[in-house]
Amino acid sequence: MAPILEVRGVSHSFRGLHVLRGVSFSVPAGAIVGLIGPNGAGKSTLFNIISGFLPPDSGTIVYRGTDITRQPIPARSRAGLVRTFQTPQVFQHLTVRENLMAGCYKQGSSGVLRDLIALPGSRRDVRAMAGAADEACERFGLTDVREQLAGKLPAGQQRLLELARAAVSGPSLLCLDEPSSGLNSQEVASLMAALERLNRDGMSILLVSHDMDLVAVAPEINVLCFGEIVSRGSLEQVRADARVREAYLGV
Amino acid sequence: MPAQRDSALSAPAVSAAFQRWTIVVALVAIWLVVPWFISRTVVDMLVFTGLYTIAGLGVAFLLGQCGIVSLAQSVFYGIGAYSTAYCALQLGWPATAGVALGAGLSAAIAVLVGWPVLRLSGYFLALATLALAIIGHVLFLEWDWLTGGTLGIGGIPPIALSGFELNSPVRFYYFLWPIVALVVWMHYNLLNSRTGFAMRAMRDAPAAALVLGIDTHALKVKMFVLSAVLGSVAGSLFAHYVSFISVDSFGVDRAINFLLIAVLGGAKTIAGPILGALFITVTPHALSRLGDIHALLFAACLILVVIFLPGGFGGALRDLVRRLGRRRRR
Repeated sequence: MAPILEVRGVSHSFRGLHVLRGVSFSVPAGAIVGLIGPNGAGKSTLFNIISGFLPPDSGTIVYRGTDITRQPIPARSRAGLVRTFQTPQVFQHLTVRENLMAGCYKQGSSGVLRDLIALPGSRRDVRAMAGAADEACERFGLTDVREQLAGKLPAGQQRLLELARAAVSGPSLLCLDEPSSGLNSQEVASLMAALERLNRDGMSILLVSHDMDLVAVAPEINVLCFGEIVSRGSLEQVRADARVREAYLGV
Repeated sequence: MPAQRDSALSAPAVSAAFQRWTIVVALVAIWLVVPWFISRTVVDMLVFTGLYTIAGLGVAFLLGQCGIVSLAQSVFYGIGAYSTAYCALQLGWPATAGVALGAGLSAAIAVLVGWPVLRLSGYFLALATLALAIIGHVLFLEWDWLTGGTLGIGGIPPIALSGFELNSPVRFYYFLWPIVALVVWMHYNLLNSRTGFAMRAMRDAPAAALVLGIDTHALKVKMFVLSAVLGSVAGSLFAHYVSFISVDSFGVDRAINFLLIAVLGGAKTIAGPILGALFITVTPHALSRLGDIHALLFAACLILVVIFLPGGFGGALRDLVRRLGRRRRR
């Protein structure tokens, strides 16, 4: 299948330290692809480059056939590329429901002037956002905490909320940065189930993690080590790879 | 527990609309009768409260909803005042034209200045807006062919509504407060709209807001423009009300006062800026009877408010209403 995302020869260095050296891989449309690697492998840097938070020194990011290397983050989002963060970035002073409503921002269209005088279009947008938010609360099991402030939620639920918020924003490619960190095993299991469900609904997913158990949901896994892809394949294949063992176990 | 909460939600849902209308009717009644019972001086203070509410609201939603500290409001207040003074005295235009010109100029300047400056954040942004206030004050002082410098401009005609001149505090009061109500209503609409969600998202987690497709920089510039327009309109109305303006009214201390309105009033609440403006207008006046010590006492009041009411007057009022509501339900 045609790739939805292609990373072509991306290199990056910080003050002469080469963090990424010509990294290339792709995410086929409709697939779940894992990207794993030990701490300091360059995962976060690569992830920031893909999502537009960092311009690469060289190389290109191609999304749905278009070079988006220099595209601003909101434009990528409108095109359907949405990410989450390693530390969940919920809107602390908004309730869970309001967080999800904000997640539906792209689906609306009313502007500042229309919003100021509350024209019907403005109210319609808010009603649609509220409807989508309630639906997402049901789907992600957040109904019980719907009216709670997001900043007061335990870490696991903040992560779930961030995932739900990313999902309601209607992405074609969802990029998740360490979505399982801080979760207990039960929460990881429900996270995996949620990811598989989103994927069945047609969402492509790029999963960045150092958690081998979680990336088991991805049929294809890329292993990043010292700024290079050292192995690629199914979980069994990369586990059997000598270079991966060396990177993870340090032997 | 959930069942209990559900019943608590559904019962007041019916009375919420009723409650809201009761409040509106009460406020209109108060607006109508208050000038009959108070002195001219107090009406005058209520006019200033209204003017400061409009300008302070512009600062408050930048602070409370967007997380932007603006000390530049005095500049737009000045632009509004000088624009309408120039239109009225040099061109003989009606007040509406002067207000519109000031708003347009302020919006244009807000775009030109805001576009680069709003890339900054936090303290740096606050300092940049402070610099703007200082530059504005210097220009108002230097361009005396336009502003009259320290001597000021006198003889600005009062606003006339089809021949009816708003030439007394009471008349201006009746004219002004519906405008304040309109501005507050628009503010309320904005907070509960798609744009309002985008603002609060940007305030709480800018990176996440970007990822959701919110162009945060453009949004900040738009809100800065809106804030500037409010400052300018308030300034224009001020010029027509007092009929004499000088550069003293548009200094950095005025900018700080507008920020105080937002902070003391509670930038996140609807009623906050009104209460903040009332405090800023009434307290110094009340304390001035005590002699030279009044400035010191005012400063002490500020400190007490900030310490004991971290959410400002608006926040304290909201908490009180919530607590009373809970008690009644029980």
